[in-house]
Formats: sequence, structure tokens, C-alpha cells
Amino acid sequence: MEEPLDLIRLSIDERVYVKCRNDRELRGRLHAYDQHLNMVLSDVEETITTTEEDEETGEEIVSKKTRSVGMLFVRGDIIVLVSPPLRTS
Amino acid sequence: MSNRILPLELIDKTIGSPIWILMRGQTEITGILRGFDDYVNLVLEDAVEYSPDPRDKSVVVKTELKSEILLNGNHVAVLVPGGTGPEDSLASRAS
Amino acid sequence: MSSALPDNTSKAPEKEAEAVPENKRSPSDFLKAVLGRPVNVRLNSGTDYRGVLACLDGYMNIAMEQTEEYVDGQLKSKYGDCFIRGNNVMYISSQRR
Repeated sequence: MEEPLDLIRLSIDERVYVKCRNDRELRGRLHAYDQHLNMVLSDVEETITTTEEDEETGEEIVSKKTRSVGMLFVRGDIIVLVSPPLRTS
Repeated sequence: MSNRILPLELIDKTIGSPIWILMRGQTEITGILRGFDDYVNLVLEDAVEYSPDPRDKSVVVKTELKSEILLNGNHVAVLVPGGTGPEDSLASRAS
Repeated sequence: MSSALPDNTSKAPEKEAEAVPENKRSPSDFLKAVLGRPVNVRLNSGTDYRGVLACLDGYMNIAMEQTEEYVDGQLKSKYGDCFIRGNNVMYISSQRR
């Protein structure tokens, strides 16, 4: 591996985990990417985590919402981290 | 001819001395400047980070990093040569 | 006759003991020293990633191995390999362990 983007290149057609800004996570099959890290993913499961504060008790309520999308485009600049599937190495 | 000092010359003169860095956002960092490049990426030794507590933003957490760091120049806002950080600043003395 | 000279004069210094001119250490010197070593990567969000630095590029995009994710100092998850987009990186620190 010479440069970080090689890690992404080696993950083409594999399922990847993509951590985005604003507590948004995507899991899907990587179809394509470019130098900005714009991506096309398919069979995507999107998870959005929100934390709200209970007005009476002041406790933090963490809720996760998930939904499925057949295919989507992710703009590279919202991506924080990409992890390929675990390989035994 | 001109003895005007260029911005990067000022930083170059600071190498080997303490420097105080204000990042975009709330974070501040101090340390001994070891080197830098044209993007103002900085190498610091004995760096100390001052950032707001994620639970209570009014509290500043001081973290001694205890190792050399490479600071991304992208988020650097202000450099204070010779500065030793918020504890020594005028603002903190006033409060 | 056959005995060689003591080679302590000619031996190249070990990488770590490399003489740094004027005690300066540029960002690229730093990166050469930490490649393949355990590092801590701090993001602007405050999240820390600890792992072995596999490689990085001019945007500070980073590839790491055996990565642990710490949010507010608490271990949140682990990744075998991971790519971190450089624009989120605040600093990279060498990690002694």
C-alpha cells in the first residue's frame, strides 16, 4: 500500500463502513470513488444517531434511526472515516 | 534593503522556542516548535492542548500530549511566538 | 591481517539517531519517523484514533491498522484497517506503548 486511497481501491465491490459528519453512518457495497472520496454505494443501510436531552430529568436520550437505500452518492467532504470489511491478516 | 520580516520568517525564528497556537474553533495548543512547512503544518514537542470539555463547554480541559506531534496547518488560525498558552494570557489574568 | 577495522566509525547511524541539522524537524521528517509506528490521530471533533500508521498523503489522508476509536476518552470501536479523510485531522502524535 503506497497511499491511503489504495485502501479504498482495494475495497471496491466490498462492503464498507463509512462514518460521516453529524453522527451519520453508512454500510454498503462500494461501487466507485474518486480523488475527493465521493462515493457510490449500493445496498446501503444508513444509521443516524441523535442525542436529545430529556427536559425534566436532563438525561441524554440516544436514539438510532436506520433506513435502507438501494443506491446512493456520498459527497467526499462529509466523510470522516472509511473502513473496509475485516480481513484476517 | 527592506528589513521587513516575512510571515514565515517570523515562524522560522521561533524554531526551538515556545509557541502558542490558536486553532479555528475553541482549541488552543502550546509547545516547543521544532519545524514547519509552507502550509504551516507544525511539528511540536511537549505539546499541551487546551480544548472545551465536550460535556460542559465552559470548562477548558488541559491535555499534556507528552510526545511529538504534527499539527495540521489547515486549522491553524493564529500563531503567537514565545507564547506559553492561555494560562499566561492577559485574558486569564483579568478574570 | 585479516581482521577488519572496528566498524564503529564507518557504520551509518541508526534511523532514530539521525542527525537533524540545527535541531530542526520538518513535517516530512516527522512523518518519516512515525510511519509504521503506533500513533494517535486527533480529529477536530475531539475523537481520537490510535493505531499503526500505514501511510498518508499530502492531504493528510491517513491509512491506519489495528485502529481503536476513542470518543471522550472512551473506547468506542475497533477497525482492522481504516482510512481517515485528512480534512478532519487536527494532529498526529507519536504514541509510546
